[in-house]
Amino acid sequence: MSNNVILEGMFVTLRSITVNDAEITFKWRQSDRASLLNQGAGDVEQQKNWISSRPSSEYNFIIELKSGAPLGMLSLVDIDNFSKHAETARFLIGEEDAAKGVPAAVESMKLLYDFAFGALELRRLYGTISAENHLMIKWQKYLGMVEEGRLRKHYYINGKFHDAVYLGILKEEYLSITLPKMKSLISLALVKPVSNTQNKL
Amino acid sequence: MQREELVRDIVFDALQNLNDEFADEDKIEITMDTCLFGVDATLDSLSLVSVIVDVEIGIATELGISVALTDDRAMNQEISPFSDVRALTNYINLLLSETSGE
Repeated sequence: MSNNVILEGMFVTLRSITVNDAEITFKWRQSDRASLLNQGAGDVEQQKNWISSRPSSEYNFIIELKSGAPLGMLSLVDIDNFSKHAETARFLIGEEDAAKGVPAAVESMKLLYDFAFGALELRRLYGTISAENHLMIKWQKYLGMVEEGRLRKHYYINGKFHDAVYLGILKEEYLSITLPKMKSLISLALVKPVSNTQNKL
Repeated sequence: MQREELVRDIVFDALQNLNDEFADEDKIEITMDTCLFGVDATLDSLSLVSVIVDVEIGIATELGISVALTDDRAMNQEISPFSDVRALTNYINLLLSETSGE
C-alpha cells in the first residue's frame, strides 16, 4: 500500500488512497475527462486489487475538498532517490462540477511539487501526456513544465495510437516560474467576485 | 475594429477554444455575463488556465502587447478580474490603457 502521507492546502487535502476509494476512483476513470488516460481497471474489483497492490515506494493520493468530499487523484511514482527524480502521474479531477471555482487542480499539484522538491529532496519531475490531451498539456506548460520530447504512438486509447508528449520540470524552474504562478492562481479564488448587479451598472 | 471589441473577441475565442475540447453537454454559453472563476463559476482551474493562456497569446498576437493576467496586480484587485467575461475584458482594457499611456 501507499505511504500514509497527508498534504494540507488551503482548499484541498491530499491523503493516501485506500481500497475504500475503489468505487469512486473507478467511476472517475470512466468519465470523459479520463478518456485520454491510459487504460485502467475493468471493474471495481480490479480497481480494489490495483489499489491494494500499490507499492510503498509510490505516493498515490486522493484529492479532497476541505469538506472531506473526494475530488480526484494524483500520484508520484518511479521515485529515484539516487538520481533525485520521479514521475507525476494519474492526475485526474473526477468531480468536475465540484471543482468549478476552486483552484483544486493547481493547489493539488503545488502540494505534490512542494512535497517532492521539499520533503523528498528531488531535483526533477517528469511525466507523459497524450498529445490529444490539449488542455492538460497547455496547463502543464503554463505552470512551468518543459516539453522534452515526444514518444511516437506511445498510448493505445479508444482504438487509436496516440503520441505522448514528454514533459519535465527542475526544482529551480518550479521555484522561479511555477510557484509564483500557482500562488497567483490560488489567490485568485480568494479575490471577491463581482456581483451581477454591480457588474451590469 | 475598436480595441474593446477586439479584446472581447479574444476572450470569446479563448472560451470557444475551451468549448472545442468539451463534450456537447459540458459546453459553456459564451456571453459577457458568463461567470468564469469564483461564485457560480463555469470553470475549474484547469480550464481557467487555458483561457488565461489563450487570452495572453491573443493579446500579444493581435495587439503586439504582452500582458500578465495572473500577477500580483490581478490578485490585489478589489473585484476579481476573473469573475465573469465583462470583468475580465474590463481588466484587460485597463492594463492596455496603462500600457499605451491613455
